[in-house]
Amino acid sequence: MSESTTADPRGFFERNHYLLRRLHSLSGVVPIGLFAIIHLTTNSSIVWAAILTEKGRTVTDRTVATFQEEVYFIHNLPFLIFTEVFMLWLPILFHALLGIYYAKTGKANTDRYSYQGNWRYTLQRVSGYIGFLFILYHIATLRWGWTFLVPGGTRWEYPYAASTLAACLRGGVGEVTMAGILISVFYFIGVTMLVYHFANGLWTAAITWGLTISQKAQQRWGVVCTALGVTLFAMGASAVLGFATLRPDEALRIENRVMPTDKRVELQREGKLKPNPGEPRSADAVQTH
Amino acid sequence: MISTFTTSESLAAARAANRRAAVAGRTVIFRIKRCDGPGKPSRWEDFKVPVPVGANVISCLQYIAANPVTADGKPTTPVVWDSGCLEEVCGACTMLVGGRVRQSCSALIDDYAPAEGDVITLEPMSKFPVIRDLWVDRERLFHNLKRVKAWVPIDGTYHLGAGPTESPDQQGTRYKLSECMSCGCCLEACPQFNLEEKPDMWDTSFIGPHAISQARLFNMHGTGKVLADERLDALMGMGGVSECGNAQNCVKVCPKHIPLTESIAAMGRATTIHGFKRFFRG
Ligand code: HEM
Ligand code: SF4
Ligand code: SF4
Ligand code: FES
Repeated sequence: MSESTTADPRGFFERNHYLLRRLHSLSGVVPIGLFAIIHLTTNSSIVWAAILTEKGRTVTDRTVATFQEEVYFIHNLPFLIFTEVFMLWLPILFHALLGIYYAKTGKANTDRYSYQGNWRYTLQRVSGYIGFLFILYHIATLRWGWTFLVPGGTRWEYPYAASTLAACLRGGVGEVTMAGILISVFYFIGVTMLVYHFANGLWTAAITWGLTISQKAQQRWGVVCTALGVTLFAMGASAVLGFATLRPDEALRIENRVMPTDKRVELQREGKLKPNPGEPRSADAVQTH
Repeated sequence: MISTFTTSESLAAARAANRRAAVAGRTVIFRIKRCDGPGKPSRWEDFKVPVPVGANVISCLQYIAANPVTADGKPTTPVVWDSGCLEEVCGACTMLVGGRVRQSCSALIDDYAPAEGDVITLEPMSKFPVIRDLWVDRERLFHNLKRVKAWVPIDGTYHLGAGPTESPDQQGTRYKLSECMSCGCCLEACPQFNLEEKPDMWDTSFIGPHAISQARLFNMHGTGKVLADERLDALMGMGGVSECGNAQNCVKVCPKHIPLTESIAAMGRATTIHGFKRFFRG
């Protein structure tokens, strides 16, 4: 379009302003938002599997086994680290850094104009900040193994997905500690903020891209986004509550039981197989299915 | 409705209740944010004004101009304000009345200060530089209309003949948009539009909902269309339509009830299409 041969004197951000804003909007929906839906569906299985599956004898049997099997499925996906870096971590970093930059261009004025829409706008920014802190903590502790940030110092390990996650939330493998309660509350707030951020973001994205124009259309899409938000909130809340009330020792027995043989052999070779609570480490050395 | 949120209806109801309760022959305190000139510090001054039935903010400002004495009896300079039509069509008298932006000429005292000794605050708009007292410089608002070429290009050397005919539907939409009086209420209430004193920053700062809506108006005009691509290019630049954060305050405070948020979404769609075309055309 531009016929000029001289270089554009404007900086990178100025030249690509519109494209960057649209990529910001897009990245919030796919891949980040889509991932959030999948992620919360998986994690809330610690509650819904009690009703929707028939595995095992007790409720905990069903939920832990289902969750653990989902984790195996994810960890057996090909090129997982590639997917994580390019479909998750980099998009989140891109969206968050630009999000903070964009958020700083505005000045909240809910004190003078306390319209509902103005609160939505302000909360979209606040939830972005809090959500970003939460995601950083969440990935750093559970994925990158920064155990010094975990009360109780538990390292999350995927063959022990439920028990180690519960221990990270509860402040250790034993009874819930005060620090554990704080971490669980932080998870609840973080997840709730991000669910709001995604639901409201989906609503504004439709305006950004010009899908919903008339006020009627915006209202209708608002109903859809609210319904999605309420559903995701229910899933997020059950995930946090489900793991915060799960006993790590009980979960560990189930994880050992459902562990595939090749995984068991591999963990044994590396000396990482955890004994069932109350049993000596050597006792499980010969057990296979 | 949830009462903790302000709605247009709750505001209107509160004002109507005040109006019904208004006491005749009362004196009202005008608390005015004053400033002697650009860059000078601001200060508050109170004035006692006897309020006749049907008084509005401008008629009371006229009283203060004729009697420039503060409530505690000290002589002061007359308060300066801007106005034109006195019937809510020119936008010049826009200021914060009781903390919220609106036209002061149509602001009835009965709506805000119904009882003896009630206080009504007046402040200049905060998103434009103050010239003096309640008078601000709205130059950036007009500058931003130029950024989107908010006009129909008809200047030429020969008669162009009659313009294209228009459907009643399109006419209805455009008529509503054409009612904008460039008052600045939408900009004052917008959290994404903020004071920018340096004119060389104007071209990269948020253009504002009024200009986005005017770009839509002229892109729908049979002859104005010829500049459509240029308007969309401007809206895709720094400070363009994507700077809007969808707080939707603008549409709530617009005195002409212009569907600004629909215009913003419509221009979001138009720039999306324009962007794809530009991408594939090179
Ligand atoms: C991790 C989960 C996240 C998801 C699913 C998500 C999703 C979204 C979506 C769908 C939008 C709407 C885009 C639009 O209106 O066009 C959005 C907007 C936004 N996001 Fe996020 N986001 C996430 C994280 C973050 C983080 C960590 C920040 C950092 C502070 C952030 C800051 C923002 C801001 C400021 C906006 C508003 C942009 C605007 O209105 O122009 N987001 N987000
Ligand atoms: S919808 Fe956009 S333009 Fe209107 S007040 Fe909100 S941020 Fe400003
Ligand atoms: S759009 Fe409404 S609020 Fe904004 S300048 Fe025009 S008339 Fe005023
Ligand atoms: S003086 Fe023209 S709108 Fe008030």
